[in-house]
Amino acid sequence: MSEQLESGAPTFLDDYPKEAAVVKAALWSSFIALALGAVFGVIQALHRTNILRLIDSTDYYTVLTAHGVLMVVSFTIFFLVGLFTWATVRSFDRGVESIRYTWTWYGLMVAGTLMAVVAILGGFVPQTDISADVLFTFYAPMQAHPLFYGGLTIFVIGTWLAGADWFWSWRAWKAENPDERIPLQAFMVLTTMLMWYIATIGIAIAVVVFLLPWSLGIFDQINPLLTRTLFWFWGHPVVYFWLMPAYLLWYTVLPTISGGRLFSDPLARGVFVLFLLLSTPVGIHHQYVDPGIAEGFKVIAMTNTMFLLLPSLLTAFTVVASVEHGARQRGGTGLFGWLRALPWRDPAFTGMMLAGLMFAAGGFSGMINAGMNINYLIHNTIWVPGHFHLTVGTAVALTFMAATYWLWPQLTNRRLFSRPIALAQVVIWFVGMGLMSNAMHVMGLFGVPRRTAEPQYEGFEFVTSFGSITELRLQLAIGGTLLFISTVLFVSNIALSAGAPKLSGLGKPLSEPLSGAHDSPEILDNLKLWFGIAFVLVVLAYSLPLASIISRGGVLGPGVDPVPMIIEPLGATLEPLVASLQPLLGRLAAVVGGVGA
Amino acid sequence: MSGENTVREIGHDEFDPYGTLALILIYFAILSVMWVFMYFVEFLGNDLTVLA
Repeated sequence: MSEQLESGAPTFLDDYPKEAAVVKAALWSSFIALALGAVFGVIQALHRTNILRLIDSTDYYTVLTAHGVLMVVSFTIFFLVGLFTWATVRSFDRGVESIRYTWTWYGLMVAGTLMAVVAILGGFVPQTDISADVLFTFYAPMQAHPLFYGGLTIFVIGTWLAGADWFWSWRAWKAENPDERIPLQAFMVLTTMLMWYIATIGIAIAVVVFLLPWSLGIFDQINPLLTRTLFWFWGHPVVYFWLMPAYLLWYTVLPTISGGRLFSDPLARGVFVLFLLLSTPVGIHHQYVDPGIAEGFKVIAMTNTMFLLLPSLLTAFTVVASVEHGARQRGGTGLFGWLRALPWRDPAFTGMMLAGLMFAAGGFSGMINAGMNINYLIHNTIWVPGHFHLTVGTAVALTFMAATYWLWPQLTNRRLFSRPIALAQVVIWFVGMGLMSNAMHVMGLFGVPRRTAEPQYEGFEFVTSFGSITELRLQLAIGGTLLFISTVLFVSNIALSAGAPKLSGLGKPLSEPLSGAHDSPEILDNLKLWFGIAFVLVVLAYSLPLASIISRGGVLGPGVDPVPMIIEPLGATLEPLVASLQPLLGRLAAVVGGVGA
Repeated sequence: MSGENTVREIGHDEFDPYGTLALILIYFAILSVMWVFMYFVEFLGNDLTVLA
């Protein structure tokens, strides 16, 4: 029996119950991945700092792969599809065109995830030949079981179909509203998906044409540099695929929560167009130290990357200005005094603001990563995970969790189990990540490597300017543990909310922008134009480097042995060689013996 | 639309985000100082690495 409230707006669940079920399912898939990813995360943090070793070091890469794939593929992208479904349905104010189709793409994504996760976890069971210890960066020569590549393929197909679902809604809406501007949230969804369609060309070719046939034994060898380059063709824009849902929340939800209105809809549209144009032709900046790619191509990638700072800085301005608008409407005054007027007791607000603050710090370490010369200072050190735990690990993850506190009651018609726990949770995440990421950045400057189970070398000391490596390790371990606790608090809070009584009127309408869509030129909504330009930019950035890689090494070569290597077949290969050499050795011995006599 | 805690409605023309400008300038200043430190002290000031 639901408790009725007289006031308040209807929720998303009231208006679109079928769609709300899909959104909830997608978000739950995301949270399960987050919980599992957090378990593997804390195991790693304690293992490599030598504080608690629950696993054998030989299993470290299985744990690392599970952590990476569950967090940055499953957690982020399941959340994205749930959020984008909500945003599309909400902003077009119409249900999906076919709920069966919507469940189909969700089902494909779940099936793909299960296949990939089974392949990864198979690494813990030596009795099976299934393993995928290839890390999130799964390019050759690392080789996984075909189940892993098959799972990834099905997962990505699911995301393509999800995008088609949202474009389908747009088409139907446009037929009924030919003169309307695309609503802002839907615009963000559509531009993000156009970027995703371009970006996934790289990974689709890498997996379907090379890695999957290679793992099935159809090809003996593939060109490692080619698959690396195709991976990073996708591997950089995917970071914006994680980030764009967070941006959507910062632009369209955060201003309302802060009590204000979005400063400028046209600026927000411009930012998303810039991300569509610039996200993909930059992937080579992940390959600054790769031999086989000319320096000139790397300089072009660096230049494009620096242009990407522009939409991020525009976002910093627009989002903070919108929050300031809220603060001043709430009575805030002064140059900085308005900050006190903000709703800091609201976990959704505080979580998103802390996420944004961490993103500002991540912007700095990102600038270091992107600089072609200064990148050598930190390349392949633990600085790099320190950086992306600020960006995807906090700007994205903490925004998603904070936004869930705002969105979940509108999907379930139930209040959150505990707002104080939610507030503590976002603060614990911020503190935990502050410690862990700081330690990682500082250790990286001292040359401590990433992706290593036991970074303790015999007869070698990492020299620190102040403090000690032991102190930094402790900081990393405490930070990692706090992050794990924070994740447990988040998932339990959401799970326990299922026991809260049903209410009505929990809907929270979003405020209109101060400067609306009609203040911007209509060309911003010309998606065909932006898609075309984005495509041309990618062709310009990648055709020559890819042609050069293929002309030098061939499409399938020069090959290298797959990793992890299997020792037994090597013995079997050597046996006939030794047998064939035996008569020769016998004759040699006879000759030597004859000479000796 | 105004929230429940709104004390006064502020329209587009009466709102100048000078607080935001101040915060962004502070951020730029931090970025510049840290970049100079990273480049001249950490990057140029240290010995050659395996990669360099």
